[in-house]
Amino acid sequence: MSIVTVQLGQCGNQIGFEVFDALFIDSHCPQRLSSKRENEAYQASCKERFFSEEENGVPIARAVLVDMEPKVINQTLSKAAQSGRWKYGQHSSFCQKQGSGNNWAYGYSVHGPRHEESIRNLIQKEVEKCDSLSGFFIIMSMAGGTGSGLGAFVTQNLQDQYSNSLKMNQIIWPYGTGEVIVQNYNSVLTLSHLYRSSDALLVHENDAVHKICAKLMNIKQISFSDINQVLAHQLGSVFQPTYSAEGSFHYRRNPLGDLMENLVPHPEFKMLGVRNIPQMSENSLAYSTFTWAGLLKHLRQMLISNAKMEEGIDWQIRPPLPGLPNLSKMSLNKELHFNTSIANLLILRGKDVHSADLEGFKDPALYTSWLEPVNAFNVWRTQRAFSKYEKSAALVSNSQFLVKPLDMIVGKAWNMFASKAYVHQYTKFGIEEEDFLDSFALLEQVVASYCTL
Amino acid sequence: MGRRRRRVDPADAAGALPAAITALSRALPGGPSPETFRRAKFDRPEAAPALWRLLFHVLSPRPADDAAALPTPEAQARLVKSVLRSQGYPRRALVQLPEDGSQGSRELLLALSWLLARGPLLERLLAQIRVRLGDEMPVCECEVLASPGPPAPRVEADGCVDIRHLQWLMGKLRFRWRNLITSQQEHCALLGKLLRRLESENARLEAALEWRRRELVFWQWMDTVLDACPPEASQPTFLPRILERGAGELELVARELQALQEELQAVVEPRRAAWEARVGGWGPGWKATQRASEEAVRQELTALQRAWERGGGLAQPHGPHRLVRSEAGTLGGPGLCATEVIKALRSREACLEAALRQLQGQCRQELARLVGALPGFIWILPPGC
Repeated sequence: MSIVTVQLGQCGNQIGFEVFDALFIDSHCPQRLSSKRENEAYQASCKERFFSEEENGVPIARAVLVDMEPKVINQTLSKAAQSGRWKYGQHSSFCQKQGSGNNWAYGYSVHGPRHEESIRNLIQKEVEKCDSLSGFFIIMSMAGGTGSGLGAFVTQNLQDQYSNSLKMNQIIWPYGTGEVIVQNYNSVLTLSHLYRSSDALLVHENDAVHKICAKLMNIKQISFSDINQVLAHQLGSVFQPTYSAEGSFHYRRNPLGDLMENLVPHPEFKMLGVRNIPQMSENSLAYSTFTWAGLLKHLRQMLISNAKMEEGIDWQIRPPLPGLPNLSKMSLNKELHFNTSIANLLILRGKDVHSADLEGFKDPALYTSWLEPVNAFNVWRTQRAFSKYEKSAALVSNSQFLVKPLDMIVGKAWNMFASKAYVHQYTKFGIEEEDFLDSFALLEQVVASYCTL
Repeated sequence: MGRRRRRVDPADAAGALPAAITALSRALPGGPSPETFRRAKFDRPEAAPALWRLLFHVLSPRPADDAAALPTPEAQARLVKSVLRSQGYPRRALVQLPEDGSQGSRELLLALSWLLARGPLLERLLAQIRVRLGDEMPVCECEVLASPGPPAPRVEADGCVDIRHLQWLMGKLRFRWRNLITSQQEHCALLGKLLRRLESENARLEAALEWRRRELVFWQWMDTVLDACPPEASQPTFLPRILERGAGELELVARELQALQEELQAVVEPRRAAWEARVGGWGPGWKATQRASEEAVRQELTALQRAWERGGGLAQPHGPHRLVRSEAGTLGGPGLCATEVIKALRSREACLEAALRQLQGQCRQELARLVGALPGFIWILPPGC
């Protein structure tokens, strides 16, 4: 089954390119440890999901590119075409001649409706190329102006058009020290709208990925391209083909559906995060060997202590003792160190993958009281390695990891809103104060739900 | 070259040849257009590449389905020439054709007709490219297929249920519903694809039938093509050598088996005699035991033989088998008869049921023993025990 990707704005388009590139490169990476037939099946599965065919054999990404100005789209299109590996469809992009200022409300209330039909047609064309549609990825930033507003509108549109198809928004959480003064407003509006119309929000934090680049990959001048490549690697290691069941040798037909069924069935809990290990660059791999025990131990502690990197993990944080009553687990203050999970999906790829011991992730103390590990924890194991990483693991989790950042953003936005600062920029284009209040209420509810796990 | 001298109905004559050639063109996979055939009679060079390609496709040892592996025209031409020669194609003019694929359409047409006349070429090609889905079923005794499935989700019967858990389950159900709908859509799309492929295969098969009806006209036309060729000195036809290697090895194996059997007999006889001599002195009780053990051995032997028959009778127990309908009583070529498979499966079922009953009996005895061992308990056995 296929996934159609909608790349929105500068952020979405740059990341989208890296994601398709990572998927393609991994599926064509020569594998020492997999049989030829297995490798061909893996390639075919990846290809069917993310690329469509053309007569001359160059795969075309199943993607629609949207931006309000042409510069980034043109760069993305040419980068893909020049690589010679794959490319975007000739008529899969939509852009306007000029940007229109960084305004969420403008993107949502003006650009959205004005270009709704054109964008919808592009998506429809892409959907028709699929034999069967599993769902959509929508890649966008959360705090941007036009792109985020438009993204919220497009997601809502998809909800109406394709109500049976799954939608996962890949959201880029902004740097804590952002440049746009209204970014907290934008974040609040984006998140609240997406929460209503999307099935899952997979959040990628710029700060975290930046640190991974700096500390672990030894990149001196970190560019957006480096950050996006790390992100693409994370996504690739989640969505590349996996076996459909323990002991099966057929690749899963609908990973998006299976992932969502395992992680986000509850409508109040839609925030997902990805952690992966090892995080070092491919070039350093030759000098290290890994054991599953070591990798999983680190990954588990990263989950528990809400660390994003495999270095500098706080090993002091432990799961709470089983005898404590629920109330003492709840705390909305800064002492919330232990990261309780609702559900986790662990994806293991590589050598001896069936020998990995997963007991650490089945500990009930990791999870909330109303969901037992047998329901909350799932694992997908595949022998075929990801790229050059002989062993690699990715953890997609629905946990409290975003509670603090979200709470902070909502708090700051609320403070600004209390003095009505900059609100006129929004009311000018149809986002009323009531919409703001609704958004605040929804997000407060989300924070409260996650806190009372 | 096969020639058939029978009269053709003149009323058919006018349209018969084009119809025959069209049918042949449609029936051949990747078949050249009817125009190519006509041009080839006059040895036009533009017809040559298509005929070289067709012959390569027909003669290459494995089905060339992926475009990436297609060798150069020179290599194709060389393969065609060598295979034709090894099959005994008599005309030397073909061998002398240049290998760049630019000439020789008439010779190639003659070669194609030679192949068509010799054997069921068309049928073989059609069988190669047939749609393999929809008329096959697996015959497999692998235990790996009988997996127990995912564990049933546990339900807490007592204690208060957190409403969030219920909401979680509801959401899961909703997602499964949506995923089911998407799977159904995929199923429909794949069925559509299958239907289209079957339709095109049907068209090809119909063309093949049409060809069979009209081929007489084609052969008469081929006579004229042959006459149009410049005469060449007749060459002695050389037949390909059939290597006799295999037969000698079989002889050797048969002789070794024979020798082994004689050796076994030679060892068994004195042992049996010695045993009889020893046992003869023992009492009648021993006779009874001996009979019982003989009976047990016989049963085990029949079980072994049955198992052996199962393994041998159900040839190719793994992999898909094609379902073919045939008249009752006629035995087709290789393959299994469905009634035999059913019989074999039923006898296996009987064996397994017997084993199950025996195991259940053992369980019952064990339970009875446990019941006796703990007098203070009341045991409620499941129904049917």
